[in-house]
Amino acid sequence: MLQLFEFIGRNRNFILFGLLEVFSFWLLVNNNNYWSVEYFNTANSLNAKSLEISNSVREYINLRDVNTSLAEENRRLNELITTLQQQKPSNAPAGYQPDSAFATRYKFVTIAKVIDNSTHRADNYLTIDKGYADGVKEGMGVISSTGVVGKVKICKENFSVITSILHSQFMVSTKLLRSGEMGTAKWENSNIPSIIQLKDVSRYKTIVKGDTAVTSDQNAVFPPGITVGRVKTFKVAADQAFFEIDLELATDFSKISYVYLVENKLLNQQQSLQESLLNKPK
Amino acid sequence: MNPNDIARSVLRWLIYVLLHLFVARHLVLFNYSFCFIYVGAILFLPVEINLTALLFIGFVTGVTIDSFDNTLGLHAVATVLIAYLRPIIIRYQLGQKLTEGRLQLSIRELGLPAFLSYVILLISIHHIVLFLVEAGSISLLPYTFLKIMCSVLFTTVSVLLAQLLSR
Repeated sequence: MLQLFEFIGRNRNFILFGLLEVFSFWLLVNNNNYWSVEYFNTANSLNAKSLEISNSVREYINLRDVNTSLAEENRRLNELITTLQQQKPSNAPAGYQPDSAFATRYKFVTIAKVIDNSTHRADNYLTIDKGYADGVKEGMGVISSTGVVGKVKICKENFSVITSILHSQFMVSTKLLRSGEMGTAKWENSNIPSIIQLKDVSRYKTIVKGDTAVTSDQNAVFPPGITVGRVKTFKVAADQAFFEIDLELATDFSKISYVYLVENKLLNQQQSLQESLLNKPK
Repeated sequence: MNPNDIARSVLRWLIYVLLHLFVARHLVLFNYSFCFIYVGAILFLPVEINLTALLFIGFVTGVTIDSFDNTLGLHAVATVLIAYLRPIIIRYQLGQKLTEGRLQLSIRELGLPAFLSYVILLISIHHIVLFLVEAGSISLLPYTFLKIMCSVLFTTVSVLLAQLLSR
């Protein structure tokens, strides 16, 4: 008996080692045991709390990736919405059945990051980090999550220049949602980058302040229903037939960071058809 | 060992464990290399520590890491093993230096070759046990060994970096 205790005393560390290993293996093999389920897992409040803190720190590091994936998701959803809207336009008569090629003519090609941006010149341009290598083409429409941005002007391999809607020659066919009136939005008051003018709306129509202006169905570049702005003020000059409407732009151009590029796949066909009509001898 | 030394050892243990839990755990290089820097918490405890205490510290360290990975027992097995083997390897490899007086397990006191041979041997044992137990079978043996080798390299480099950056 004495010898046994002496043996245990001499080899106590080896015995302890053996016991700990066996206990660990037992814990590992019965991975649904009371200990692991009740205390030693990541749902335990201390562990969960510390993981939460470390995760909140890492969230900042991942913010860039998260932004990119959200922008990608938005692109996909926007494309889906446009297609669905085109397949069943809300203002169409009951019998209207759109051609499937026509309904899916708007393709959200890619998402780009704005790397340079001007708002205070007479003609403003944006530069984005995508070019024809990513499927961008000249003449594509550019919109942001908040509204219309512009149109691709120059396209290089990896970069493109966009004519901003804040450009003295840029016109967007626009529709007022509540009154249903159509007009042309154009940036004329070339010093306020948040206001755009809407012209060609007859003075005999009723206009509501705060009405939303969206791109109309007659647009070739932009899908219909993209927000342009909201009616801020409107007045009629004494001898004019049209309203002078000021729209407050939906897109804040000073803060713009991601944009979507939209391609109208039937644009060439539409344009050549319209041009052939113009060139035809009467 | 005066209280200052003890406080320093505790702090070092804590830093290695926290470093693993909040940083190294998320590092995976090329899907093969994992970083288990918490091994340093066992490797750099003072030489003169009692083996019984060492075993318990190893067990607690392993269970702490396990409770964050939801693999209760896995890290404990490997860590208790290296805690048990540590004094043997120190006696075997650093016996010469041990007789010269008090020895501190750091890269400055040991020099790079002795330090590396000590560290790599224990890290290899730890990783081999860890990955083999984790795999649970020998069906994916080549893959597991590739993982072991890459991870030994990664952990060694990170332990080395931690040593160089600490005072």
